[in-house]
Amino acid sequence: MRIGVDVGGTFTDITALDAQGNFHIGKIPSTPTDQSQALVDGVTSVLTKSGHQPGDVSYLGHGTTVATNTLLELNGSSTALVVTKGFKDVLEIGRQKRPSLYDLFVDKPQVLVPRRLIFEVDERLDFQGNPLRAVNADDLNQLRKNLADTDVDAIAVCFLHSYRDATHEQIVAEKIAEWFPDRYVTRSSVVAPEFREYERMSTTVINAFVGPRMHRYVSRLENRAASAGVAASPKIIQSNGGMVSPTSIVTRPVTTLLSGPSAGVLGAAWVSAASGYKDVITFDMGGTSTDVCLVRDGEATVTSERSIDGYVVRTPSVNVHTVGAGGGSIAKIDEAGALNVGPRSAGAVPGPAAYGKGGQEATVTDANILLGRQNPDQAIGDGLRLDLEAAETVVKKISAGLGSDQQQAALGVLRVANSHMARAVRKVSVDNGDDPRDLALIAYGGAGPLHAVEVAKEVGIRTVLIPPHPGTLCALGLLVSEVRTEILRSCLLSFSDGVTGVREVIEELREAAQSWFEAENVPQGQQLTQFTLEMRYKRQNFELPVEVGGGTINESDTARIAEAFHEVHEKTYGFRHDESELTVVNVKVVASQPVSAPRAASLPSRESGAVAEAETSRREVVFVEGAAETPIYARDLLRAGDVIHGPAVIEQEDSTTSLPPGHRAVVDTYGTLIVEVNL
Amino acid sequence: MSTDTVAAQAAHSNQNLTVDPITVQVIGNAMLSIAEEVGSVLRRASYSTNIKERSDCSTALFDAEGRLIAQAEHIPIHMGSMAGAVGRLSGGIPGYENVSITPGDVFITNDPYAGGGTHLPDITMVAPVFYQGEIIGYSANIAHHSDVGGHVAGSNSGDSTTLFMEGLRIPLVKITHQGEVVKDVLDFVLLNSRLPEERYGDLLAQQSSAALGGTRLVELYEKYGAETVEASSKALLDYAERRLRLAVEDVPDGSYSYTDWLDPDGIGKEPIPISVTITVDGGHIALDFEGTGREADVAVNVVRSALEATVFYALKAGLDPEIPANGGFFDSVEITAPEGTILNPRSPAPVAARTDACQRVVDAIFGALAKAAPHRIPAGSHSSITYVNFSGIGDSFYVYPEVIAGGSGARPEADGLDAVQVHITNSSNLPIEALEAEYPLRVEAYELVPDSGGAGTYRGGLAIRRDIRILGEGAEFSAHADRQTSPPEGYAGGQDGTPGRFTVRPGTDTEQVLPGGRVSGVALHSGDIMRVQSPGAGGYGLPLNRDPEAVRLDLADGKITADALKETYGVVLSADGTVDGPATAAAREALRARSHSTDRSTAPKQRMRRKQ
Repeated sequence: MRIGVDVGGTFTDITALDAQGNFHIGKIPSTPTDQSQALVDGVTSVLTKSGHQPGDVSYLGHGTTVATNTLLELNGSSTALVVTKGFKDVLEIGRQKRPSLYDLFVDKPQVLVPRRLIFEVDERLDFQGNPLRAVNADDLNQLRKNLADTDVDAIAVCFLHSYRDATHEQIVAEKIAEWFPDRYVTRSSVVAPEFREYERMSTTVINAFVGPRMHRYVSRLENRAASAGVAASPKIIQSNGGMVSPTSIVTRPVTTLLSGPSAGVLGAAWVSAASGYKDVITFDMGGTSTDVCLVRDGEATVTSERSIDGYVVRTPSVNVHTVGAGGGSIAKIDEAGALNVGPRSAGAVPGPAAYGKGGQEATVTDANILLGRQNPDQAIGDGLRLDLEAAETVVKKISAGLGSDQQQAALGVLRVANSHMARAVRKVSVDNGDDPRDLALIAYGGAGPLHAVEVAKEVGIRTVLIPPHPGTLCALGLLVSEVRTEILRSCLLSFSDGVTGVREVIEELREAAQSWFEAENVPQGQQLTQFTLEMRYKRQNFELPVEVGGGTINESDTARIAEAFHEVHEKTYGFRHDESELTVVNVKVVASQPVSAPRAASLPSRESGAVAEAETSRREVVFVEGAAETPIYARDLLRAGDVIHGPAVIEQEDSTTSLPPGHRAVVDTYGTLIVEVNL
Repeated sequence: MSTDTVAAQAAHSNQNLTVDPITVQVIGNAMLSIAEEVGSVLRRASYSTNIKERSDCSTALFDAEGRLIAQAEHIPIHMGSMAGAVGRLSGGIPGYENVSITPGDVFITNDPYAGGGTHLPDITMVAPVFYQGEIIGYSANIAHHSDVGGHVAGSNSGDSTTLFMEGLRIPLVKITHQGEVVKDVLDFVLLNSRLPEERYGDLLAQQSSAALGGTRLVELYEKYGAETVEASSKALLDYAERRLRLAVEDVPDGSYSYTDWLDPDGIGKEPIPISVTITVDGGHIALDFEGTGREADVAVNVVRSALEATVFYALKAGLDPEIPANGGFFDSVEITAPEGTILNPRSPAPVAARTDACQRVVDAIFGALAKAAPHRIPAGSHSSITYVNFSGIGDSFYVYPEVIAGGSGARPEADGLDAVQVHITNSSNLPIEALEAEYPLRVEAYELVPDSGGAGTYRGGLAIRRDIRILGEGAEFSAHADRQTSPPEGYAGGQDGTPGRFTVRPGTDTEQVLPGGRVSGVALHSGDIMRVQSPGAGGYGLPLNRDPEAVRLDLADGKITADALKETYGVVLSADGTVDGPATAAAREALRARSHSTDRSTAPKQRMRRKQ
């Protein structure tokens, strides 16, 4: 039995897939003080409900927000930083850009290490890694004194050009670990051995800042899982979607920083591929924002650098684009008369006005409820009912400002929110050179299926997919993903000077991959390594990947590799320079344990009767095209082959799908709703 | 923009009341989405790093009257700077009445005087957009090209004395005629660049991006209908105009004047005054640059479109950062600059390094606004484009250009930012590890400069010092930078930031401080260190009112010296390093008494410059 557990701010979702291909789903309140508690409790309860034993668990995939929250809330460890002499301010200077072009009152994010805790060592390498000044004993003594005078829990080491030669960093980091065995010590040549000192240093410092807390969390997680008798040792998802062991995470917790949305994207890619769609845009609409991501040929697109609240992180991560429009986004008419929706959000507290927790401003959710798209009679836990009056009151403020009726105002809120999301969907595709009209949109998250069809229509997308369980797709992503990591080294070698240098780096990385396989307990026959050269034309500032397979490379491969680079350059940028010299900037190895993709059982088709049997009620729902008495379907009563014509609303525990008039939805054999959008 | 235009605008906008605010938002987002898409196409298809990686380009849609409706992610200096070229096609500009326009045409220009550009490396392309036989708007883009000829590589030096030294002047001509590239024009431009292959790719990328914008705009018309799109466009313009008016109404009526100074231009010996009088009358704002120095002999002149972009930046930042950058905003601001001054030069006055003067224009506007609305405006920022250029012979001839940031001004309730780009630019630095791999240079230090931020209740941002060691023979240093003579000003009793400075071989017997920020061809030898120090920024409020704990931390962090702690801030620390409250109070009292007898600072100051 494979299990995925996604820890969210409010709920922890559990999805299990048994040997017969049946899904078992659970949801329990999260336990923010120790996320592992809800995780283990949730797993236990799903096992019990489905009649399984802890010993049946062959795989336990887990997504954690411990590192992310630590950084967002800025409550990580007190951290010191050790740098090359003359370069104390690499982090403060950064790329010297100001945070807002026009707003003079926005501050830069505060550097995680105050300047007084940044210490210099008079060492230096040149750009080829040759030592210009060695680490000297006096400096080490002084450093020891300085660090002893501080009460930091974590220490990061980052020297110039350490991506070429890690010796100096290694000497200093090992000394520090020896002097202060209880402090968390990390160095840039382990965390992100890539050239560009600011990005590498930033990543290393964040790693130190979140390290001690992540270490404590992971220990608790392993203990709890073991005492509950769970057979498989838990794996944790990284920002790039690869799963690794807790041990790897303790060394590089920074690799989980952007893992939140990656699990959902992987789940969405898996669901889409099963239904025959390999080129899709994922559309995850939650309470405060919507995440969209391009999936090509079944693989999520990945980016090598992201920033989170202004802190730069150089680790591969699923290339999600976020727009500040979600269910809780606030609609407001500004003093000059424009209706704005988002990026301000009512969040969980006070939340939408209809939730009766004191929300005083109209949100997207309030509009959905007043228009009947979301069930106005639904319970919202603890036997509470929606406060429709509160929703009407706040939407009236909008209608008064617009001089329209309440319905038009609510529709307006949705149309403006949809237009923001449509812009985001276009952006992720055109930035990659794709026409969104050639892609399908897969909607999930609590609110995604409510908006997806209208967003697709706005963009010109013909197909929308709604997975069987849109609300728990992240947990699904966690159980279908594979054990995988990426290890990268910058080398900045001229490719015209022969392949010897590159080959050496490949062999170094092969060894690193080997140690990783051993640490992850990947059996010999299941170890897959794939090397990629990140190359560019000389004097360019950006690199493109060229895959070179799993073996070594020889002089005889140069022409083939060069041609592959020219081709990818032409495909990406529309031109090639056959005469230009090539530089290999980075070598990367992807080490993985491929899993045979788990398969879901198929949904039976209807033996007799019609789709009308899935209809549970009717209510008035307002669409842009007008109000209509609309059939409400129960998702769990739908069967493969069912066809639903809009207007319709399809309800299930974790989500609601809105199918406006004129569009048609078909249930496929995996239970996924395939909406044919009428453009 | 005359008051007549403003009145005409108002009359015009009253005609359209047919479209609801929601549709306006939806169509506004769709237009922005088009501008973003064609911007993405431009970056992906271009050849040069400057466009591709640094995104030194902007894309926009204009209406049939030549008013900007939507512009994607912009660099402030690009704000509205395509309007000059578009305006020459949409009518009303003498000499351009008879331009023949047919469907499928794309126009090109870069000329600051004849084409509405700001300097020659910025090439603009405009595609008129036809729908049902009528021109309904314009799809335009602007991109900074790495070379368009002229007397130095990069076509962007500070020491040219005429526009003809700065590169090829392209009047407003067709680069595409009825869908076909006009090869004659293309070849003409390519032959005039040092990097023709790169230009070829960049120019084709620009023209296909402009054409695609037209296609997308027509699709929008087909989807929503001409009336709805046009009514929405007008509503977007009205909205920006209203937002500006509301922001201006918050500023008390009156006239506010201020003068800031540009360093001597290198030929002249005197600092150059940049003067502005801002007149606020209800919701109307007018800026008059009377009193500004005469046209400069070197390339610091600012033509009309560059001046407009700068004014728009300053008003947006100073009054309301959320004002949409569209024609409704631009057309509501009245700007006058006397002819023959540095802010209204006559052809062929050189303009390549216009940015320093643009920065000073922002400082002058902020200085004037601070008198009217002090709570909105920070003290003086470094406001210099500290552009430095190392060249020499390594494996092959190299040129390494860099722009160094500095401090941003202290705010009325917060310190300034250390080490950032300000105002009309926001370009990034080159990573040291990339620099050393590429050029025979080594960076020995890259750090903040203690005490460079003007002291104040809130401290000005700190400057950057970068020490670069030359590793080969035959190297040269050139630069254009400002704020080496007149420092960034402190406000409300805050002290000035330190000026910038270039030092050859610092700390040696042959140390030499260069005479100013505009230098070229300074010879450097292997082993020499060139120290580049940018300006800091002004402080806000009296230093003696600064929270002593903040002063203590500044000392612990090495952002100020022990001297400043004692002499400027009057803070006394106990033996354990904490603030000694009573001793600090006494020290501050003594310093106050001393300053009362000598100082007379009011803020913002309007000081006389010492003549050199």
